[in-house]
Amino acid sequence: MAVTVLGISAFYHDSAAAIVRDGQIVAAAQEERFSRKKHDPRFPRHAVNYCLEEAFIEPDELDAVVFYDHSLLTFDRVIKSLLSVAPRGEEQWLKAAPSVLGVKTYIADYIRDALKRDVKVLFTEHHLSHAASAFYPSPFAMAAILTMDGVGEWATTTIGIGDGQAVRLLKEIRYPHSLGLLYSALTYYCGFKVNSGEYKLMGLAPYGAPRYADTIRRQLIDIKPDGSFRLNTDYFGYLDTNVMTNERFCELFGGPPRKPESRITRREMDLAASIQKVTEEAVLALARHARQITGCRDLALAGGVALNCVANGVLLRERVFDRLWIQPAAGDAGGSLGAALLASHMKFGVPRKMHPAGRDTQQGSYLGPAYSSGEIRAFLDRSGYPYEVVADAAARSESIARTLASGKVVGYLSGRMEFGPRSLGSRSILGNPLRADTQTVMNLKIKFRESFRPFAPTVLAERCGEYFELDVESPYMLLVAPVRKERCLPFDLAALVNSNDDMLPIVSQPRSDIPAVTHVDYSARVQTVHRDDHAGFHDLIAAFERLTGCGVVVNTSFNVRGEPIVCTPQDAYRCFMRTEMDLLVLEGCLLWKEQQPKLADDQKWKEEYELD
Amino acid sequence: MSRKLFEYHPVIGYHFIPGIKARIDHEGGGYLVRVNAAGFRCDHELTPEKPPGTKRILIFGDSFTAGDGVSNKDRYSDLLERLLPGTQVLNFGLSGSGTDQQFLIFREYAAGLDYDLAVLAVQAENIRRVANRYRPFADENGRLLLVAKPYYTLDADGRLALHHVPPPKEPIDPEQLPESERQHVDWAGREGNHALLRKAINTLGPWAKTLAQKLTGYQPYPEYDDPDNADWRLMNAVLRNWIGHLKRPVVVFAIPYFAYVEETSSSAGFEARMRELADWPQVIVHQALHDLRQYPKDERRRFRFERDTHPTVSGHKALAESLAKAVRPILQQGGA
Repeated sequence: MAVTVLGISAFYHDSAAAIVRDGQIVAAAQEERFSRKKHDPRFPRHAVNYCLEEAFIEPDELDAVVFYDHSLLTFDRVIKSLLSVAPRGEEQWLKAAPSVLGVKTYIADYIRDALKRDVKVLFTEHHLSHAASAFYPSPFAMAAILTMDGVGEWATTTIGIGDGQAVRLLKEIRYPHSLGLLYSALTYYCGFKVNSGEYKLMGLAPYGAPRYADTIRRQLIDIKPDGSFRLNTDYFGYLDTNVMTNERFCELFGGPPRKPESRITRREMDLAASIQKVTEEAVLALARHARQITGCRDLALAGGVALNCVANGVLLRERVFDRLWIQPAAGDAGGSLGAALLASHMKFGVPRKMHPAGRDTQQGSYLGPAYSSGEIRAFLDRSGYPYEVVADAAARSESIARTLASGKVVGYLSGRMEFGPRSLGSRSILGNPLRADTQTVMNLKIKFRESFRPFAPTVLAERCGEYFELDVESPYMLLVAPVRKERCLPFDLAALVNSNDDMLPIVSQPRSDIPAVTHVDYSARVQTVHRDDHAGFHDLIAAFERLTGCGVVVNTSFNVRGEPIVCTPQDAYRCFMRTEMDLLVLEGCLLWKEQQPKLADDQKWKEEYELD
Repeated sequence: MSRKLFEYHPVIGYHFIPGIKARIDHEGGGYLVRVNAAGFRCDHELTPEKPPGTKRILIFGDSFTAGDGVSNKDRYSDLLERLLPGTQVLNFGLSGSGTDQQFLIFREYAAGLDYDLAVLAVQAENIRRVANRYRPFADENGRLLLVAKPYYTLDADGRLALHHVPPPKEPIDPEQLPESERQHVDWAGREGNHALLRKAINTLGPWAKTLAQKLTGYQPYPEYDDPDNADWRLMNAVLRNWIGHLKRPVVVFAIPYFAYVEETSSSAGFEARMRELADWPQVIVHQALHDLRQYPKDERRRFRFERDTHPTVSGHKALAESLAKAVRPILQQGGA
């Protein structure tokens, strides 16, 4: 009999579910994709439903349901932290109490009630879930593991080791000392949303100079040679209030936090550059220590900080480890997968099966739902939306490639939805990287987001070295690498930043022969696509290359600002109609914008999504 | 956000999307749906010949037969198959369909199949659907729209005429429906007389609905009370026409409304009309109600969900055991 385990992460942010059968990942998905509420923290009932659908089993066929963290330990941390700041901390208590005294005290019953079955419920620990999510799907038989995030129960950072089917944590750094919370504090201070806007800060960093890095090192974080660190909690508000920073923090950086949506100034750019530099130093030090204490040659990473692909790129280039593997759902969503894998291998003793060709077993992270042509046509027919069926995959790739080559923007839904925060060619908006105006057009007319935000390239895996200084695969868009020098064009960022607060002239300056995906520091957040992982997407880029000579496309998530990435054809159509995309591809169906009827009663759609 | 299960069909109006596998979120905890290549919620593919050495039963019906609320394996059709070893049961149930559409399903998909017995599952509500031409649905944005369904009319000479084939593909805004057609929408209690009162009572919970029905002597389908009622005459004609096409024994499986089972509403009319069909040769009318009422009252209440009135797993089990009583002797006699 197969051992089938359902993993669940919930009640903090980014709820998700994952299902594993005999150690093989069957399905995984974030709740936000179904509920359409970004970072949805609620019980992932839609994601659970989907996982059971993909496995096609009844809940009573599950060997166990595993919750990704240990609520009692979280309760212990909350109480002890509050006692340490008493009598202050009332705000924090009021925020934490409903969770730690509420649903988290009866999670097992909650799960059984949701499934309407008396299933076995197990619990693990937050960072053990992260560690398991990093190690088990990796291509490594043995590896060091580094997990870093805001906070789990007590741990904020752990070093561990994975060997065969066992995962062990060796060292940890505890709350309130947290690299994730330090990054989030700066995210908040720069006017972005915590647990959401961290990647914006990372994208902003190349515009600035790290002139606050010394201040951060002197006043906020003390990084020891072994990578351990301590935060100076005098500067942070998260211990006793609901605000990440406090007055002293503001004084340190010369004033109050930037108001969300106000103009981004030189200060925010420099702060972003500074915290990015310090984060990279801390990650490097932790990695070196992990190498030292484990003796392993390879490293597996997870936790929200592992989504910092710039730091990952630095780690790769510094060659601290021979190889890196980063869980694509590195944040809390991935905890569901880690919990399910951990129980499968360590509780039920399922032997770990490695990929026969030495690749990872994450399956390109295409672990979510797919929609058949029949389902798509049923939706389009019932709605009366005009479409063209191009059943021949090669002809379809040619048609889409021609559209991209002409500078148009394409919404692309193809195959199983991605698990993790990145769109990897299943739910993507695609553009032409050769045009200098693509970044501005896609940011302002399609994504409705800040003009400084860079776009990522997807490159044919076999062509990667021709465009980027990257000699490993990056299938999950988690590594930032330099664009090859011979492709870069002269560009004086400092002069532009100093002369103008408006970022549009800066981003409009061509920086390479693939300008739309070259950030202002000549870097790019690269996705390499292998034909084995997503044949349709690979063939589309190959068709684009035949037309243009360029084996790269712009790939950004299929959503607008504040909206979860689309899941269903219906979501995709709605997003397509609300933006200035030109073509929508729903598997074998092509929909041209000019042929579509206007969406009825949809004027207020922007109010649906809270800005991130 | 469960998957959408249906697609347009040029004769039946709609059917299940062929090949789909889905799990539908539901108050019962969710259920698994598997659809065969022909577009029916059936674990078997349709083959002209029966598997060697087996008897084959064809079952037609609405959502009670298709199994809304339960997984394929827990439906009365699938349970019947397990109760009768050596039997293959093909489920042609279509949620929301009327007997007229079920007849069209037979004509389109089943008439050419080899079989031993046909079960026409007549759920009490079907009469409303036979009498109507449009059914409401909510589109992707929650907008209430109508879809046209095929329908029959009965002329003065008792002849049936089929309309709306193919049914219009485009959904219809209720406001745009011609005045003359508005009476032909099957609102199923969502509109019409006492709609507000119904909504108010439903807001209070299922217990309030049951109590109100009991106190008022509520009769959901008065169409069955009069043998000359126009809707019944139409449904009767459709059934008789269908039976006339069947070359093998037929069981008319009368599936009662839950209020009949729980004895909060009179079933006399429904039972009487169903009995009228027994005058046809080779037709057995099997009224599940008699068997279902043998169970204790609290158990009967568990035959349906808390809110959804479709049968639960135990409801399907009771239906399967009841139907098996009618079917087993026919199969044992070797068919016709």
